[in-house]
Order: sequence, then structure tokens, then C-alpha cells
Amino acid sequence: MRAFAEWLSTSAPSVAIQSRFWFIRVLQATHLITAGVAVASGLMISLRVLNFQRADQPFDAAWARFAPWLTASLAVMLLTGLAQTLGDPVREFTATSYWVKVVLVLCCIAGTLWFARAARRAPATTSFSVTAKLVAAALILFWLLLPLLGRMIAYDKAIWGPLSLRT
Amino acid sequence: MSTHEILATIQDSALGNWMRYTNGAMPVVEATHVVAAVLLFGTVLIVDIRLLGLADSQRAYTRVSRETLRLTWLAFAVSVITGSLMFTTSPLTYFYNWAFEWKALALLGAGVNMAAFQLLTASGVSAWNEHSRAPRAARLTGVASLLLWAAVVLLGRWIGFTKGYDFTIPAGLDLGPTG
Repeated sequence: MRAFAEWLSTSAPSVAIQSRFWFIRVLQATHLITAGVAVASGLMISLRVLNFQRADQPFDAAWARFAPWLTASLAVMLLTGLAQTLGDPVREFTATSYWVKVVLVLCCIAGTLWFARAARRAPATTSFSVTAKLVAAALILFWLLLPLLGRMIAYDKAIWGPLSLRT
Repeated sequence: MSTHEILATIQDSALGNWMRYTNGAMPVVEATHVVAAVLLFGTVLIVDIRLLGLADSQRAYTRVSRETLRLTWLAFAVSVITGSLMFTTSPLTYFYNWAFEWKALALLGAGVNMAAFQLLTASGVSAWNEHSRAPRAARLTGVASLLLWAAVVLLGRWIGFTKGYDFTIPAGLDLGPTG
């Protein structure tokens, strides 16, 4: 993995990003701002499943409100995240926090798509099964862990100790 | 006591030393600060875009704000606590960092904007609470809030880019070891 990351860091797109100092800063700033939109939207959908937000609304109304913002912000986050990874692949690929974050992003997307199916199948539903509520509770934790892990990439050895992939 | 002496006292405090020398303290506090800032901005955005009529236009403004601002205040409290802890690590450098100064100004601006909204615009909310379009003053407050909180988040990130050391040392000020 390290050898691949080192090769990637010498590729033309990676060098192009690395050599544009302001581009990296803009990427990180955009990633952070859109994380606010994605995390808040994801939380609101999960909190609706748990009946802690908008319990007076059917689920599809809450879904219609937050899903477009979640989708758009996630798309920007993925693009800026990929560009940041390309800009510094060794730092990212050798961080345990990075890989945990990638797994959690996939879990958040899968869980949210599951809710999307629920919104299509039973648009007027106001209450959910215990399983759906457990998934929503897990997603709340995962959404909050995403920015935490993103920042922890910089401190991988201090956070993970022997579990850090950085040597 | 001069500003410099106050900052030096904070830096040499037990809390400052604990934050600086405890393994993992700064990374955990900083990462928690980022989570709180992200949540704060995201929840403020939900209320502000309702003010602007870009979403939730069929939902009463007071309902949206009541539901969302609980999370906002929670995130704000965590931001203040973690931000203060981070400040104790190097107050002498943060205080003179331009990004930190502008972030403090943006925070102040966001506070003033919110106070103005509560005192002037929100007092007549019953007249437009159910309307999809809030009055111009309320919409302006929403725009100002969005810009100011985005500035707070971005300038916070910029402090990291400048490592807290990108500042001009005031003439005659000794920033050497204090403890």
C-alpha cells in the first residue's frame, strides 16, 4: 500500500495538486463546509427515524427536505476528499483514521439508501421498526465520527498508537 | 496586569501544561472541536435557509428553529469548551495570529447578528411565522448568519494552516519562554 501511495504521489495529477498550495487549502475548506451540510442532513434523517426530530411529519417529508442537501454535499465531499487523497496519498493511505473513515462513509451511504427505500415503500410512515432505529442510532454515531476521524488523520500515531499504519 | 501577562499566565497554567504535555490531549480536543464546528454550521444552515425560504417553506419558522437550535447550542457549548482548551496551549501565539483575530471578530459578528435578530426581527415573528417568505430584515439576518458562521469555520481551519505562528510580533514584545 505504501509503495502504491508513493508511486501515486509522483503521478502527474498528484504533483499538480501538491504544487498548488492554495488549491489544497481551498479543497480542505470546501470539504469542511460541506461536511457541515452532510453531517447535519444525515443526522436529521436519522433523528427523524428515531422520532427525535419532525415526529409530526411523515418520513418522506423529512426525507424530501434533507436528502437533496445530503446527496449534493456528499458528492462535493467525495470529490474534495478524493482530490485531497490524490494530493497527499502517503499521508492518507498510511493513516488508520483514513481507512476507518472510508468504511464509515460507506456505512453512512448504505444506511441512508436503506432509509431511501423505506421512504419509497411506505412514504407516509411515521414510526419505524426497532432494527431501523438501531441503524439510525448507529448512523448518528458514524456521521459524528466522520469529521472526528478526518481531523485525526493528522495525528494518527498519537491516536492509534500501535494500531496506526504509520511507521 | 497587561494582556501579555494574562496570556502568559494562561499558557503557564496547569490546564495549559496539561493540554501541551498530555499525550493525545490536543488531537482529541481538536478533533472534537472540528466535530462541534461542523455540527454547529450545519444546524445553523438549516435555520438560515428556512429564513431565506430555500427549504422548509411550508413549515413554521419557530418550529424549525426550536427543533434545530437545541443541537446548535449543544454544538456551540462543545466548541467553546474545546476551543478554550486549545487556546491554553499557545495563547501567546494564537492571540497575535491574524486568522485567530478574524475568527474572534466573525464570532462576535455572529453573536451581534443573532442578538439583533432576536431583539428586532423575531419579536414580530407571529406575523410571518407561517409564510414561506420571511421579511427582508429576517432574510438579511439569515444571509449574514450564513456568511459569518462559514467565516468562523474557514478561519478556524486557517489557524491550522498558519500553525498559529503567522503573525507580526509587536515591537518590544518578548515572546520567549514564559515558564
